[in-house]
Amino acid sequence: MKRRTFLADAGMGCTGLALGSLLWQDGFARAETALAAGKPHHAPKAKSVIWIYLSGGVSQMESWDPKPALTKYAGKTFADTPFADPLKSPLFFKHSRDVVGGTRPYPKIFPLQVGFKKHGQLGIDIADWFPEIAKCVDDLAFVRSMYTTDNDHGAEFQFHNGRHQLDEQQPSIGSWATYGLGSLNENLPQFVFLGQYSDTRVKKNFAADYLGPQYTGVELSLDPKNPLPFAARPKGVLAKEQENQFEFVNELNKLRQVEYPDDEQLKARIKSYELAFRMQSAVPSVLDLTKETAETKALYGIDNPTTELYGRRLLAARRLAQHGVRFSLVYLSGYGEWDSHNDLKNLHAKSAARVDKPIAGLIRDLKRSGQDKDTLVVCCSEFGRTPGLETRDAYKMPTGRDHHPHGFSVWLFGAGIKRGVIHGATDELGFHAVEHPHYVTDIHATVLDRLGLDNRRLNIPGRKRLEIDYGEPIKQIMS
Amino acid sequence: MRIAVLFFVAWFAPLGFAQTVDYARDVKPILKERCFACHGALKQESDLRLDTAAAMLKSEVVVKGKQNESALVSRIAANDGERMPPEGKPLTKEQIAAIAKWIEEGAKAPADEKPEEDPKRHWAFVKPVRPKVNGPPIDSLLEVERAARGLKTSQEADRATLLRRVYLDLIGLPPTREQLHAFINDASPDAYEKVVDRLLASPQYGERWARHWMDIWRYSDWYGRRGVPDVLNSYGQIWRWRDWIVKSLNEDRGYDQMIRDMLAADELTPTDDANIVATGFVVRNFYRWNYNNWMRDNVEHTGKAFLGLTFNCCHCHDHKYDPITQEEYFKLRAIFEPIEIRTDRWPGETDPGVYPKYSYGASYKPITTGMVRVVEEKLDAPTRFYTGGDERNVAKDKPPIPPGIPASLGGKYEAKPVMLPPEAWYPGLKAFVRVEERKRRDDAIHAATQEFDGARQAIAQLVGRMLLQPLAFSEHELADAKFRNARAHLDAAIADRDSLIARIAADDVQYLKTKGDPKAAAQDANLAESRHKVALAKSAIAKTELALAATRRTKSQAAQVPALEKQLAAAKAALATAEAAAKTVSTSYSPLSHQYAKTTTGRRSALANWIANRDNSLTARVAVNHVWNWHFGRPLVESTENFGRSGKPPTHPQLLDWLAVELMDNGWKFKPLHRLIVTSKAYRLASNGPRHPSDLDNVYLARFPSQRIDAEVVRDSLLHVAGELDLTVGGPDIPQDQGLTNRRRSLYFTHHGEARMMFLDLFDSPNPCDAYRRTGSVLPQQALALSNSQLTLDLARKLTAKLTAESNDAAFATAAFEQVLARPHSDAERNSAIRFLSKQTRLLSSESKPSQRAREGLVQALFNHSDFVTVR
Repeated sequence: MKRRTFLADAGMGCTGLALGSLLWQDGFARAETALAAGKPHHAPKAKSVIWIYLSGGVSQMESWDPKPALTKYAGKTFADTPFADPLKSPLFFKHSRDVVGGTRPYPKIFPLQVGFKKHGQLGIDIADWFPEIAKCVDDLAFVRSMYTTDNDHGAEFQFHNGRHQLDEQQPSIGSWATYGLGSLNENLPQFVFLGQYSDTRVKKNFAADYLGPQYTGVELSLDPKNPLPFAARPKGVLAKEQENQFEFVNELNKLRQVEYPDDEQLKARIKSYELAFRMQSAVPSVLDLTKETAETKALYGIDNPTTELYGRRLLAARRLAQHGVRFSLVYLSGYGEWDSHNDLKNLHAKSAARVDKPIAGLIRDLKRSGQDKDTLVVCCSEFGRTPGLETRDAYKMPTGRDHHPHGFSVWLFGAGIKRGVIHGATDELGFHAVEHPHYVTDIHATVLDRLGLDNRRLNIPGRKRLEIDYGEPIKQIMS
Repeated sequence: MRIAVLFFVAWFAPLGFAQTVDYARDVKPILKERCFACHGALKQESDLRLDTAAAMLKSEVVVKGKQNESALVSRIAANDGERMPPEGKPLTKEQIAAIAKWIEEGAKAPADEKPEEDPKRHWAFVKPVRPKVNGPPIDSLLEVERAARGLKTSQEADRATLLRRVYLDLIGLPPTREQLHAFINDASPDAYEKVVDRLLASPQYGERWARHWMDIWRYSDWYGRRGVPDVLNSYGQIWRWRDWIVKSLNEDRGYDQMIRDMLAADELTPTDDANIVATGFVVRNFYRWNYNNWMRDNVEHTGKAFLGLTFNCCHCHDHKYDPITQEEYFKLRAIFEPIEIRTDRWPGETDPGVYPKYSYGASYKPITTGMVRVVEEKLDAPTRFYTGGDERNVAKDKPPIPPGIPASLGGKYEAKPVMLPPEAWYPGLKAFVRVEERKRRDDAIHAATQEFDGARQAIAQLVGRMLLQPLAFSEHELADAKFRNARAHLDAAIADRDSLIARIAADDVQYLKTKGDPKAAAQDANLAESRHKVALAKSAIAKTELALAATRRTKSQAAQVPALEKQLAAAKAALATAEAAAKTVSTSYSPLSHQYAKTTTGRRSALANWIANRDNSLTARVAVNHVWNWHFGRPLVESTENFGRSGKPPTHPQLLDWLAVELMDNGWKFKPLHRLIVTSKAYRLASNGPRHPSDLDNVYLARFPSQRIDAEVVRDSLLHVAGELDLTVGGPDIPQDQGLTNRRRSLYFTHHGEARMMFLDLFDSPNPCDAYRRTGSVLPQQALALSNSQLTLDLARKLTAKLTAESNDAAFATAAFEQVLARPHSDAERNSAIRFLSKQTRLLSSESKPSQRAREGLVQALFNHSDFVTVR
C-alpha cells in the first residue's frame, strides 16, 4: 500500500522532474531510507551478501579440510586402510545421482598434493596453497560436511538453485534474497554478477526463473565504458540532450496519467525511468575503483598481475555491498577452472595463487572498515574432489582427482556468523560428510536467515517448492 | 502415547487457543492440506475419511470431548512409525493443539458440512456442455458475472486505440500511419470486421500466434553445451517444427489435428516429411545424457500443455489431488518408451547422416541440414516401475508397466501397431533422394568426362609435338598415366551410376511393387555394385600410378616413391579382392539409406486420439483458456497448466465451456474463435474506466485490461514503425547476438534453455523450459535498453528521415505520434512536443543538423513512451 502511495505521489507531482535533485549521492544515507519491496521475516543480522564462487570443484583435502590419512595410505585402496570403505557406505548411493558417466569409484588413494599447517588460535588445518586466507581463519566459519547430489558440473547450478540438473529448475539464491528483501538502494541493481565466462550455462547461477527478470542477476562489467548493459549513452548523444529527452518522456507519460489514473503499470514505468536515469550514473560511480587508495588496492593484490583481476572484482563487490547492493555473485575463476582431473598439483596451485590474496584482502578490508558487521561473505564451489586417484584411459600418468559430491567444504565470514569455528566433518579419508551433513540449500537457508528471511516462507502461488529447496539454517555457525 | 496426549492438554492454552477453536478456520484447513489426499474423496486408506466431522465421529477416530481417546490425536502426535501423516514433516505443536482442543470442546462442525466432491466430478473432469445463452454469447456470459457484482462497463475504446489493440493482438505489429488513417476514414459499418479478417488472413498472424503456442509447447533450439558445441537438449534443425507451427496456424489447421501431428505424425502421416517435423514437440524434450529425463519431460509436458494436468506429481507417488496413480504415470511413460531421434535428408540439402548414439566423453555437434523427428526403435523396450522418482530404485518384483492412460479420466486408449509404408522406414526410397543421388552421379560423370577429354587432347597434342621433336620418356609416361587415370575415373563414375540404377531397380521390385523378379533384380544390383567396386579399385591403382609417374619426374620427390609403391601394391591387392568378390553373385546390395523399424507401436497415435477428442473434458478447455489469456492478458483459469483439483477454478465457468464447445464445433479451428472474441463488445471496451472497488483486479472485465506488450512485440514494433522490419517467413534460427542488427522478426532468433537474446530477456521473453504463463514486468533496465541501445537510436534516425516531408514541428509531431503510437496526440502532447523540439534545437545549435537531431530525439522519446510498450 505504501508503495502505491509513493508511486502516486511521484507520478502526480509537478510536470518535469528535477532530475538533478534526485541524482544519486554517494553513501548509505539514501539507502537507509529507500524502499524495500519485501520485508524481512525477522530482525536481520546482515544486509548484503558477497558470494564468492570457485567453479569446477575445489579439492576439499587440499584446501579447507586436509586429510593426512591420504598421504599415509597413498597408493593403497580404501579397503586396505583401517577405515570403513566409503564406496560401500549406503551414503555412496544415497547422495549422488548420476547425470552421465557412472559413479566415479576411484578406490586407489591419491596422496595430498600440498602440505598443510595449523593456523589461528584454534589451530585450524589449512592447505599451504592459501597462506593469506590461512591468516584469517580466526574470523571464518568452516562447514566441512557439505554434500550435493550431482556428480557432474550441473552441480554448479545446483549449488545456486538447489536442484539437481535432472530436476525442474528453481530461482537462484541471489534471486530469492532480492525477491524477499527488495532494495537497499534503488539506484543500483539489487543482484549483480561480477565475472566472465564463455559457457552461457553460467547464467543459470543468477537466473530468477519464475521470479521474473527483476530478480535476475545483472551482469556488471568492470569496463568503465559499459559497466551495465545498455547503461552507456549512445555515441554522440550529449548528456543534456538525453536528460531533456528523459524529462520529455516523463512529461508525456504524466499527461497520459490524467487519462489513465488507475494504471499501475504506467505509474511503475514513470518510476522506472527515474531509476534508470539514476542507475546510469550511479553504477559507474560505484564501480570506479580509482576512488580507492593504493594501500587498499594492494590489500586486494591489485598491484600484482597474478591477483589483479580477481582483486578488482572483489574490491568492486565490497563497494557494491557498501552502497546497498543486496547480493553480489563474484565468479572468481573461469568456468570449470578448478576441475583438476589431471595435474592437480600444478593447476590447483595456480588457481589458488590467483584467489588467495584477493579473498584475504576482502576479509581484512571488511573487517577494518567494520563493514563485516552487515556484510556476509560465502566462499564456495560445486563439489569437492575424489580422495582416490582418477584413473581414466585417457590419462597415461594420472595425477588428478575426479568430481566428488559426497563431501566438501564451504566457509562463511562476516555478519551474523561465528568467527573461528569448524562445523561438521568428513570421514578420515575426506570422502563422506559424516558429521552434520549439509545439502547445499542449508547454505541458502543460513544466508537467508542472516538476511532476516525464512526460506520456508518464500513461496510463489502455483509454484511448488520441495523440502529439499528450503534447507535448514546451520544454527551452529550463526552468531 | 497417552503421555503425549496429556502433555498437549497442558499446553494448548498458552499457545493461543484460549479462545474457542473454530473448526472451519482452525482445523479443517490442516486436515485438508495434510490428510485429505489419503483420507478424503480421492482415497480412503483404511476406509477412513477425514473430510467431514461426521465421518470422523462415525469412524471413531474422533471421540467427542475426549481427545485422549481420539486416535486422530494420538496418531498425529506419535513419534514413531505410527505417526500420521507418514510423509513430510509432522504437524506442528500448534496444529496438534488446535485439533485436540477442537475435540475437547465437542468436535463441533456446521450441520450442513459436505464431504469432498468425488474427484471424478471435479469440474474439469466433466465434459463441457454448451450453456444456453440469450444474445451474443461472450458478452452475455460476461455480463451475468458483472451484473451479479453491480459492475458497469466502460465506454467503447476510441477507434485508434482499438485498431492498435487488435493489430498487436492478431499480428504482433502495430498499424502504420496509413493503416490508421484508412481505418479512421472508413465509415462503413463493418470497417472493424474487415480489418479483423485481413489481419487473420495475413502471414504475420501465424508468426504472432506461433510464438504464443511455442511458449506452451516449450519451443527450444538445441542447447546443452553451446560453447563446445555439444547437443544435449532438443536438437539441431528443430526450427522446422517452428515453421510448421506458423504454417499450420496460418492455414487454420484444426487444433486436434495439430496435437495428433505433434505427438505422432511419424505414425499418422509416415511419408509426409513436411508434416513429420511436427514431432519436434517430442524432440524438444530430448536429453542425450539421460533418457529417463526425456521420458519424464514427455509425460510432464504433454500433460501440462494439452490437458492442464500435472502428471509430474505422480512420478514419485500417487497424485495427491487428482485421480492419477503412480502406476498410471508409468503407463503414460510407456507410450513414449520406444522412441529415438531420427535425422533425415531434406530436398536440396546434404545428408545430415544417421543419428549418432551416445558414447561417454564424446560431444555431438548440431546437425545443420536435413530434418529431425522421432522414430520408434525399441518397440519392446520395457517400462520399469521405480520409486521415489529415482530410476535406480526399480521395483524388481514388479513386471514392466504396459502403456495406457489414467483410467479415472475416462476416454479410450486403443493402440494398434502401424505397418509403415516402405518410404517411411527406408527413406532412401523417396523420389527426391533418388533424383539427387542420380544427379550427383551424372555430375560426376560429366566432370570425369571433361577430365578424360582433357587427358585425351593432351595426348593428341603430345603426339603432334612428337612429330616435330622427340620428347623425354617421362613426359610420355606422365601423359599416359594421366590419360589412364582419367579413363579409370570415368569408368568408376559410370559404374557408380550403373550401380545406383540397378539398386534403385532392385528397390523398386523389392519394396515398391514394381513388376519383376526380386531375386534377379537384387542379383543385378549386387553385380553392378561389385563392378563399381572393381572400377573403384582400378581407379585407385591408376591414381597411384599417376602419382608415381609425377613423382619420378622430379628428383626432389624421390623419397616418396617407396611409399607410393607400397600403396600401389595395396591397391592391386584390393583390386584382386574386389574381382574375386565380384565372381560370387548374391542378392545383397547397399541400400540408399539406413533402414528403420518397419512398424511402430501406435501408442502415441492412441494417446493423441485420446487427447484430441471431444470426449476429453480437458483439451478444448485448456486451449481456449490460453487463447482467452492471449487476447485479454488474463486467463479464465488462473492456473493455465493445472486444471486439476489443486488448480484454480474458472472465473467464468460457463464462458469457458461455451468457448470450448464452440472450438470443437468449428473443427477445432482457432480463427473463428479469434474473430468471435475480438469482435465482442468486451474486447472493444476502453481500458481507462474507473477501478471498481468490488473488482480492483478487473477480473470481470468491466473494462479492457491494458497490458505490457510481449518482448517480441516490443522489438518487432520498433523495427516495424521505422519501416525496417524484414518480413521474411521461416528458416533456420538466427544467432541471438544479431538481435540488434538483424531485422527479422524476433521469433526467428535462437532461443533455448541456456540463453536468450538480452534485449528480449529484459522484457520477459519466455523461459523455454516453462512458460505456461508469461510475466510483464516494468524495469529500469527496460528504460535503459530503449533509450541507450544503438537499435532504437538507429531506428529513430531512419523513421525521422522518412518523415522529412513534414515541414514544421507541429506537423512532424503529429506524424510521429501517429506512426509510433498509432494515435493522434492531444493538444497538450503536441505543445509539449513542440517545446521539446525547440529546446533541443537550441541545445544542439552547435551540432550539425540540430533540428533533425531534435526530431530524432522526439521519435526516440516516443519509443520510450509508456504507450509504446502497452496495449491500451
